[in-house]
Amino acid sequence: MSASFFFWRGEKLEFQPGQTVALALEAAGQRDFGPSATGLRQRYFCGIGACQGCLVRIDDTVVEACLRPVEAGIRVEPLVAGPSVDTDGGRHD
Amino acid sequence: MLSPSFHNDAAPPVNDPGHVVIVGAGIVGISAAFFLSRRGVQVTVLEAAAPAAGASGASDGAVSVASKRPGLMMQLGLAGIATYRALASGGVLAGEFRERPTFIVASNAAEAEVLAEHAAALAGAGVTVRLLARAEITGLLPMVSEEVVAVARVEGEGHAIGYRVVERLARAGRFTLRRSAPVDGFVRDKTGRVTAVSTGQGGLIAADAVLVAAGNGSERLLGLSGALIPRKGQLLLTERAAGRLGAPAGPLMSSRYLLSKGAAKGGPADAARSFGLVIDPLATGQFLIGGTREDGVTNTHNDLAAVRHILREAVTLMPDLARLRLLRAFSGIRTATVDRLPIVGAVPGAENLFVATGFEGDGICLGPFMGELVHRLICGEPAAVDINALSPARFTPRAA
Amino acid sequence: MTEWKSMDIDLLVVGGGPAGMAAAVEARQAGLQVLLVDQRERLGGAIYCQPDPGCAPVAMSARHRARWQALSREFAASGAAVEFHTSFAGLDSEGLALLERRASAGEAGRVLPVRARAVVLAVGAVERIAPLPGWELPGVMSAGGLQMMMKRRGAVPVGRTLLAGSGPLLLAVASQMVALGQPPVAIIERARPFGQPAELLKLLATPGYLREALAILARLHKARVPVLHATQLTSIRLAAGGGLEVECRGQGDERRFSVDRVALHDGIRPNDFGLPGGAATGGPVLSRAGDCREALGAVAAIEDGKRAGREAARMLGLKLPAMSLQPVKRERRAQAVLARLFSPALTTPPADLPDETVICRCENRTAGDLRGLLAGHDGLSAREVKLNGRFAMGSCQGRFCADATVDFLRRCGAGAEALEASHLTGRRWPVRPVGIATLLAEGGAAADPASVIRIEEE
Repeated sequence: MSASFFFWRGEKLEFQPGQTVALALEAAGQRDFGPSATGLRQRYFCGIGACQGCLVRIDDTVVEACLRPVEAGIRVEPLVAGPSVDTDGGRHD
Repeated sequence: MLSPSFHNDAAPPVNDPGHVVIVGAGIVGISAAFFLSRRGVQVTVLEAAAPAAGASGASDGAVSVASKRPGLMMQLGLAGIATYRALASGGVLAGEFRERPTFIVASNAAEAEVLAEHAAALAGAGVTVRLLARAEITGLLPMVSEEVVAVARVEGEGHAIGYRVVERLARAGRFTLRRSAPVDGFVRDKTGRVTAVSTGQGGLIAADAVLVAAGNGSERLLGLSGALIPRKGQLLLTERAAGRLGAPAGPLMSSRYLLSKGAAKGGPADAARSFGLVIDPLATGQFLIGGTREDGVTNTHNDLAAVRHILREAVTLMPDLARLRLLRAFSGIRTATVDRLPIVGAVPGAENLFVATGFEGDGICLGPFMGELVHRLICGEPAAVDINALSPARFTPRAA
Repeated sequence: MTEWKSMDIDLLVVGGGPAGMAAAVEARQAGLQVLLVDQRERLGGAIYCQPDPGCAPVAMSARHRARWQALSREFAASGAAVEFHTSFAGLDSEGLALLERRASAGEAGRVLPVRARAVVLAVGAVERIAPLPGWELPGVMSAGGLQMMMKRRGAVPVGRTLLAGSGPLLLAVASQMVALGQPPVAIIERARPFGQPAELLKLLATPGYLREALAILARLHKARVPVLHATQLTSIRLAAGGGLEVECRGQGDERRFSVDRVALHDGIRPNDFGLPGGAATGGPVLSRAGDCREALGAVAAIEDGKRAGREAARMLGLKLPAMSLQPVKRERRAQAVLARLFSPALTTPPADLPDETVICRCENRTAGDLRGLLAGHDGLSAREVKLNGRFAMGSCQGRFCADATVDFLRRCGAGAEALEASHLTGRRWPVRPVGIATLLAEGGAAADPASVIRIEEE
């Protein structure tokens, strides 16, 4: 079977059929999924879509990386675009 | 215009009202408690549930007159804004009041016509307001839909989060706050004066003066039968946009909202359930989107039809919102009145019993100002604004 | 094929783990039309999670495997319809069950409102994770999360892994790691499970548990996996080289580990956050089954699922006898024994958690924030903890901080003895965040063919 690829932050990564985005990233050595909206890091945690810790963006919609199967050619981006986050973690509406 | 100098007024009142019991720890009751206690008056706040458990904790936080027509409510709203400004610069609400413009948005020619007329009325009342040209709209509000034909930018507005104001004032004030302490009646002497507040199961708390600021719960306590209307509002909160989309500098208010609130000529939407649209960009990067006006509804449920209706209109106005996730849907129950004016003042037949409720959707805007005003009434001092029109006497409460 | 308008569903089962599958089987046998939805692309839930295509399954005891095989055979033969990649967004106030068809590369997500006569919620359990400094870092995951990786890939992720916290799952995961040829660096267990021989003996009442426990312990012993009892992690830090530096404290001594991955676990609890309770007027008959009702594990989940399926049929007017709860009671007793064995010998009192310890990861709220909230307040209400403290207000909607927040408040003696996690999380929809575009995508109106759920005709 020929290898399949998807993109993480524009970088081409290989994946196995059936893999979730989170596991494909882990397998590629990517554990840090980028900044969270409050200045922490997104990362795989509970594996069942409950903790929201592995949120990433695909087609500019937010999804749990541990639930979403990888498909060839999809472009996966960190939750937060660019380096900026809402630094206002302690002051909320 | 009201002088904001009151914020430094911590001098004891000439006539100490004694022990003041306040029923309700919403923004109005807590504001009154704050102002009284700051002047050395002994205050106990009795709250049936928890601070800000009612509409104060489930509202949009608009400190705004943008949707108002000239008149008493406009005058009160401006005083409300001035109060926030004073309390923010005076320290106690520092950081809790965010000044920002409100953008009223028209999506078709008919709405634009109503908007132009409304803007002129606002200007006539002394509000700084400007109609933006289409090119300006694109530059200033690139996130709004191409279909928007007119925008009025209303200056001098702001935002404060009701429950945070309550928390801040409760911490700054020196008064007793009792949670889970519902009040079920008053003990009165022969003259009608209230001498004690009954907390059920025989519990009595002696009082020299009482303020009822219990929202919809005020009706039962004061016998204001038929005066109050619970008016439910469903509100939606998105997750944090986290820099993924541009936020306007202030809330986007559909000019249809003016019709919904009955502020503009063209009439009130008196249907049992109507929709307005305000998209409010919060400091967290979240968007608060509202909402419904559902008369006589006291449950805090959310239904798919309403949520979809609100979101569909929001996305029509600001398409990028479709890229966010809905984090929460919730509801608040406003306390409206049959004649659309709040009920504030001394209750006839009981010289030491006061009421302040019925602010409908203006509770956050008016809360601190009304707290200040009513604290003066309790201390036997003149109010800064003539509020005779708000007197509970118009509902002739029976002397219970 | 027959087209089922949304109005036609007798029973909606949410969750394709053992409880949901068993409920569907039982309800089908009673003659109900059943639709089962699952957020993933296959059945099994967490406990019976099947491997990705081409990957080998992890080791499972013969009993365990037999139970799964029997259940999946029965389910396949039951005629229940299944929709995968579909999660439950909640029940609206009009009684509509909101199903989120999740997006894929070729298809946008959408929400299907379904009017079912009965709904069985079988959405399983979530793990408890006791907060400690660094638990929020990349490389730290829940032991269940690690197990999910192993079950899907049939392999342990590369690198050195430390298991820590408390509970039998740590041992089970370690044993699976050994079987896959990559044992953990150590197991750090807060409790002293072998310190209570009288409790251990009670496991004789459930020989299945005992056999499985002995097999696991033998395997760990043979592989020389260090198991440190009465020991707990005190901090996790990012190491300069990219790994994790872990400190732990036992009785009187401190130890450090340099690892690549830490898997935490402090027990499980029902995943009942935000779930609807009583039926809405005119809404469906509603019940919960399996771990999301009471977290007792797979055996109980199957029995409880059958009970819920039968009960749904009875509530819809079918004359059938109620089911015995005997098997569930047996599992409850066994789980209670395990809970006592792993009742932690030492836990971190909130006073010892450093201020910077993250309690709520979603909103980045810390132990220091919680202390600040408490200062000067007696008898803080749940509402104030939420609104002013911002706990249980983020994306996970309290699933990973409500318990810890409540534990902290109770043990700080803040007059919060009566506070419960459910007071923070409430009942609401969406039960998980749902895309606005997804929510608006029309798919619900009965006239819209896209909304119709197709179910094979019998």
